[in-house]
Amino acid sequence: MPVASSDLQSLRQSISKIGRDGSLRAMDPAAKTTATGHQSIDQALGGGLARDALHEVSPQSPSDLAAATGFALGLIGRFAQERDWVWIGEEMTRHEGGRVYGPGLKNFGLDPVRLLLVAPRGAEDGLKAAEDALRCAALGAVLFEPWGHPKQLDLVALRRLALAAEESRVPLIILRHGGQNLPGSLRTRWRVAAAPSEGRETMGHPRFTLTLLLNRQKGARSASGIWTVEWSHGERLFRPADSVDHFSASIDRSIVSSGSFHTYEKSA
Amino acid sequence: MIVALDRSALAAGLSKGMTLATARALCPSLEVAERDHVADRLLIEQIASWMERYTPCVGLIETEDKTPEGVALDITGAAHLLGGEDALLHDCLTRLRAQGFDATTAIAGTLECAAAFARFKDEAIIIPRNTEPDAAASLPIAALGLPSSEVIALARLGLKTIDDLASRPRAPLAARFGRDLLARLDAVRGVIETPITPRRFIPTFITERRFAEPIGHEDDIHRTILTLSADLARLLEKQGQGGRRFELGFFRADGAMRRLGIETARPLRDPKIIMRLFRDRLNALADPLDPGFGFDVIRLSVPMAEALDAYEPDFDGRMDLAEDLAALIEKLGVRLHPSRVMRLHAEDTHIPERAMRYLPAQDGNAALATEWDLWSDADLPPLRPIRLLDPPEPVEVIAEVPDGPPIRFRWRRVFHVVVKAEGPERLAPEWWRMTGQALPPTRDYYRVENEQGARFWLFRGGLYERETNDPRWFVHGLFG
Repeated sequence: MPVASSDLQSLRQSISKIGRDGSLRAMDPAAKTTATGHQSIDQALGGGLARDALHEVSPQSPSDLAAATGFALGLIGRFAQERDWVWIGEEMTRHEGGRVYGPGLKNFGLDPVRLLLVAPRGAEDGLKAAEDALRCAALGAVLFEPWGHPKQLDLVALRRLALAAEESRVPLIILRHGGQNLPGSLRTRWRVAAAPSEGRETMGHPRFTLTLLLNRQKGARSASGIWTVEWSHGERLFRPADSVDHFSASIDRSIVSSGSFHTYEKSA
Repeated sequence: MIVALDRSALAAGLSKGMTLATARALCPSLEVAERDHVADRLLIEQIASWMERYTPCVGLIETEDKTPEGVALDITGAAHLLGGEDALLHDCLTRLRAQGFDATTAIAGTLECAAAFARFKDEAIIIPRNTEPDAAASLPIAALGLPSSEVIALARLGLKTIDDLASRPRAPLAARFGRDLLARLDAVRGVIETPITPRRFIPTFITERRFAEPIGHEDDIHRTILTLSADLARLLEKQGQGGRRFELGFFRADGAMRRLGIETARPLRDPKIIMRLFRDRLNALADPLDPGFGFDVIRLSVPMAEALDAYEPDFDGRMDLAEDLAALIEKLGVRLHPSRVMRLHAEDTHIPERAMRYLPAQDGNAALATEWDLWSDADLPPLRPIRLLDPPEPVEVIAEVPDGPPIRFRWRRVFHVVVKAEGPERLAPEWWRMTGQALPPTRDYYRVENEQGARFWLFRGGLYERETNDPRWFVHGLFG
């Protein structure tokens, strides 16, 4: 029996949304945003973090690298769900910051089986690998960890990455080791510091103090903000830490309406 | 001693095996170069590679002491491609001369026969099938490639040509000189056949293009690769096979040859993908392909193939995802190097740095099958760090008691005040794996959190008083 290909396509799409247990999958591949699980942050972001975009995560101080890694991995966990994801770590980052550790990843709630680890020699190879990865729609997310502030990571390069992410809807998280802010095509920028965990004697779940420095999300409610969040690897979501949040409710229009934002809107 | 000489030296009456002094006396204007074994072999190997333009089965002819003397080609079924044996021989000689080489060539039914003629007859000769015994009759004994002592011994008996030897009763000869002599004799007379040992594994699937006018333009080369891939795909499909390894051979008109290989994560035959992988490979070359005056033969072959059933997409498109991913792994592998695209593999050990291994992602599903369940626990805070320092970095630690948890430590010039510490988790060395070596010290691991909330995985190497009196501390990992 002949079936119109468009029918087949839509049928495939609706079936692909059903998980193995028969329930609808948590992640809808057609969705443009993914919620972090933390209400206040999701509100500020206008619903959730954009999938089709670039996000920069950097540590507040060198000692916070692991915390920044943790936050980035949490986002990956939210984005990728059951899909494979790619971690592109330049060689130097492995020497300086340590290599990704499978058992720790599993402890953190991410299945190491889903990780495709890429170890480029330098920034140029890393950039190309990131672009290749972003063009692969089968991926859940891409984590790119450049060393320092490579000159190759300029406006043009970031723009290319942004376009690739936009097309495939594979989000790119750029995990920095410090250095200047990246220019251009980022959707959000986060600064991460470690925060003391719950419990006086024993260690609780990992906590981070997040500073949202740049927010070009569509429907953004706030251009910036500070939160202390806890990562729950069991539920795989960020939840409010018990300490008081410093949510900046003021809406800073000056950044939202800046020129670069409009450029982005038009081209998108 | 003279090991090789050219045509004019031969004409001057010199011969192999002469001492240099004798040769100089005979011919004062002699030009001499010292023998360079390595360079000789390299040159012959290079010529042999280039000879693959005629047939993929190319071997070296070597003397007793393994020095290569010449190149042997198995042209069975290949000669007609160039318009017959005559044309092939002529083409080969013309091209070699154009490159500045002098060569003697022969085509015969067996390797030894052809080699003997090439060594001792100064003409391009083709011995028709089944006439080898007659043709070989007039060759000197030396053509058998025997050690010189035996050649002299035979000469003393008055045996100078192959014919002399062949007409003798075989049994006494075998008794006097060994069976080896008869085997050589039979081989040179074309009676028994020994196969050529190819220098390289001969691929099952080969496609090639020959150009009357050598090509060198990038577009032409790309177009050729695409048509070759399409030809290859048809060959592979007929056999239900897909290639895991592909090789392009570029033969330059002036004698250079360049190989380019790719490996894939799964059996493959889609010409567009093969083409794309090669294009990436070409673009990633550190020393770009140099066409010189152009390539006149380009060959695509599959040294390694695997069964590949006709492609059938999965119902929900899951197969598409797997295909996309495999394509990405291949692409990155070609661009960076297959070993730089990895999967994590769990190992059954409690030694932290060995609990995980990297495997090339191209090796397929080996990594996917591993068990990480050991590390999935209830809703406890993580017990293992997300980043592991390799090797562990030494730190200065202040502890209340020598076998207690740290109170303060300094790592990379920064002081950290420990607020919380959990441990020790004692990890003993795996003595059963280290027979005959000194056992490394037992490690006591602590998970600690500093005032700011940053978390570290520290260990003390050596049990206090039992293994050492001055235990050293290391930071081994960082928690997210």
